[in-house]
Amino acid sequence: MLKVKDLKKKFVRYNAKREKEEFFADNGITFQANDGEIVGILGPNGAGKTTLLRMIAGILTPTEGEIQFDGLSLEKNEVAIKKQIAYLSGNTKIYQSLSTYELLKMCGEFYDVPKETIDLRIHMLATELNLTDFLYQRIENLSTGQTQRVNIARCLIHDPKYYILDEATSGLDIISSQIILDFIKKERDRGKTILYSTHYMEEAENICNNVIMINKGVIIQEGTPEEIRKKTKTTNLRDAFFALIGGVSDEK
Amino acid sequence: MKNNIWNILKKELREMFRDKKSLSMMLIIPILIPLLVLGMSALFESQMNRPVEDYNRIGFAYDMSDVEEAIAKETGIEVITGSLDELAKQYEEGNLNLYVEKDGNRYIMHGADNEDTTYALTLADSYFSSYKEYLQQEYLVENDVDPDSVIQIITTEKQIEVEESFFASYVTNYAFLFIIMAITVSATYPATDTTAGEKERGTLETLLTFPIRSRDIIIGKFLSVSLSSIITGIISFLLAIISFLIAEKTFTIYEGVSLMPSVISLVFASVVIVAYSFLISGLCIAIASRSKTFKEAQSALTPLTFISFFPGMIAFMIEIKTNALLSLVPFLNYTLLFTDITNGSVNYFYIFLMLLSTFVVIATVLFIIIKQYKSEKVLFSN
Repeated sequence: MLKVKDLKKKFVRYNAKREKEEFFADNGITFQANDGEIVGILGPNGAGKTTLLRMIAGILTPTEGEIQFDGLSLEKNEVAIKKQIAYLSGNTKIYQSLSTYELLKMCGEFYDVPKETIDLRIHMLATELNLTDFLYQRIENLSTGQTQRVNIARCLIHDPKYYILDEATSGLDIISSQIILDFIKKERDRGKTILYSTHYMEEAENICNNVIMINKGVIIQEGTPEEIRKKTKTTNLRDAFFALIGGVSDEK
Repeated sequence: MKNNIWNILKKELREMFRDKKSLSMMLIIPILIPLLVLGMSALFESQMNRPVEDYNRIGFAYDMSDVEEAIAKETGIEVITGSLDELAKQYEEGNLNLYVEKDGNRYIMHGADNEDTTYALTLADSYFSSYKEYLQQEYLVENDVDPDSVIQIITTEKQIEVEESFFASYVTNYAFLFIIMAITVSATYPATDTTAGEKERGTLETLLTFPIRSRDIIIGKFLSVSLSSIITGIISFLLAIISFLIAEKTFTIYEGVSLMPSVISLVFASVVIVAYSFLISGLCIAIASRSKTFKEAQSALTPLTFISFFPGMIAFMIEIKTNALLSLVPFLNYTLLFTDITNGSVNYFYIFLMLLSTFVVIATVLFIIIKQYKSEKVLFSN
C-alpha cells in the first residue's frame, strides 16, 4: 500500500519583473493507493501531476510531507523501495546505443535481479511483448511503438510491486496507447498498485479504480469515477473537472 | 555499492566505445605525438646543420686589406665589395645576407631582423673578434711587448658533461605538454557526454529511477572518464617513447644524448600521467554536470584545456625549479615533476606531495559533484 501524507514541493521561478518568487507545484497532497488498484491522477498541464509522481518515484525530494510504501518511509529506505518501483513517463528516454537485450540486462542488474534469472526473464518479456524480432537491435533503429514496448519491458524486468506512469500514452498512436493500457490492466489484475497520471479524462474513466483530481497543486476531488460523477452531478469526468474548477475560464 | 558502481561503469564504457566521437578523441589525438616529436627534431636538425653558404654572403663597403680578406675567408665569409648604395641594393634583392660600412674605426653592420641576417651576424661577430685580436697583436709587437703575455693572460677550458642537450630537453618537455593536452581533450568529450549529454537526451531521469545512490552514479561516471583519459595518456606516452627512439637514431642533434628515460623514470612518468588523468576527469565532470546542454558544457570546459597546458609551458619556458610548495600546485606540479623525471632526478617526496595534492583535489571535486547530483537545479534544467 502506498500512502502520501501532506506532500508539498516548493520551486523558485522568476516573474515578469525578473524577481525571484517561490511557488508550490504541489501543496499538501494526501492520498492512499491500495494493492491491486489503479489510481488516476488527473489534471490539466501544470497542475502538479509530474512533480507529484517524480516525488513518489524518488526522483525529486519533497519540501514537506511523507511518502510510505508498505509502511516504510521513502526518505529513509530509498534504495530498497526503488527496487519495488517502475517509473515510466511519456518523456522517459532510454539508451539509444544499447540493444534491447543489453538495456534489459542492464536494468535487471541495477534492480538486483538474480543473474541466473535475468536471461529467462528477458526472453519471457520478449515473447510477451513481441520484442523477439528486434531483441538484439540497437534501440536507435527501432520505431516509436517498438521503443515504447521496450520501455514497458524495462519496467517489468524486476517484476515491481508499484508502477508510476506519468502521461505514458501522451503523443502515442492508438495502437501504442492500447498496448500500454492493456499492460496496465494486466498488471492491476496481478495485484500491482498503479499510479496513472493523464490529462485524457476518458482514458482514466475507463481504467481507473480511483481518481484524484488535481488543480494548481491541490486535490480538488477524489473517489471512484462514479462517485465523482455523482458528487458533481455530471455524466463524465471531463465535465466533472470543469464543474469543480468553475468552468473553462478558470483554466486560462 | 560495488555492484552498482561496476554496473554504471559498464554502461558508460559501452556507450563510450560505441560513440565514434569519443573513440576518435581517445585514440586519434595521441597519433599527433610522433608528428610533434619527429617534426620538431627535423626542424632543429635543419637549423643546426644549415650550410654556411646559405648565409655567408657579406658585403663590405670599403677596401679590405689582404689580412682582412684572409681572416674573412678563414671565418667562412664570402666577401663582396662595393659602394654602400650598391650593397644596400644587393641586400634588398636578396643577394647579400649582411653588409658592413666603415666610419673611421667604427664598423656598422646593416641588415633586417631575419633568420639569414641573424646567422650572418654570428659570422661577422666572429670575423671582427679575430680581426681585433690580430690588430691588438700587431700593436703589441710594434711596442716590443710579447703578445702571448697579454692576450693569453687567462686561459679557459670547457669541461661540460653533456647529459641532455637543449634540443632533447625541449622535445621531451613539449611531448609531455602535448600528452597533458591529449589527456585533457580526451576527458572533455566523455565527461560532457556522460553528464550534460545524458541530461539533454533525457536518460538522466531514467537513471535516477534506478535503485542507485547518486554517489555510486558519480563514482561510476568518474571512473569511466578517468579510464578514457588514462588510455589516451598511456597510448600517447608509448607513442612518445617510440618517437624518441626513432628520433635518437635518425637525428644527429641527439648524438651522445639519450632521449629514452630510465625504467624508474618511465614508472614515475606513468604515475604522473595516471594522477593527472584522474584529476582532469574529476574537474571535467564537475564543470560539465552543471551545464544544461552538451554545447553549454563544451563551452564551459574550453578554458580548462588552456589552464591544463599553460602553467606547465610557462614553467618550462622560464625554467622554474620544483620545490615542495610547487609540488602541491595542480597542473604545474605534473610538468615540473615530469621534467625532473626525464632529467633523471626523481624526488620521492615531491612525487608523494603531488599524489597527495591530486587525491585532495579529486576527493573535494567528487564530494562537490555528489552534492550537485542531489540538487534538482543541477539535475533538471527546466
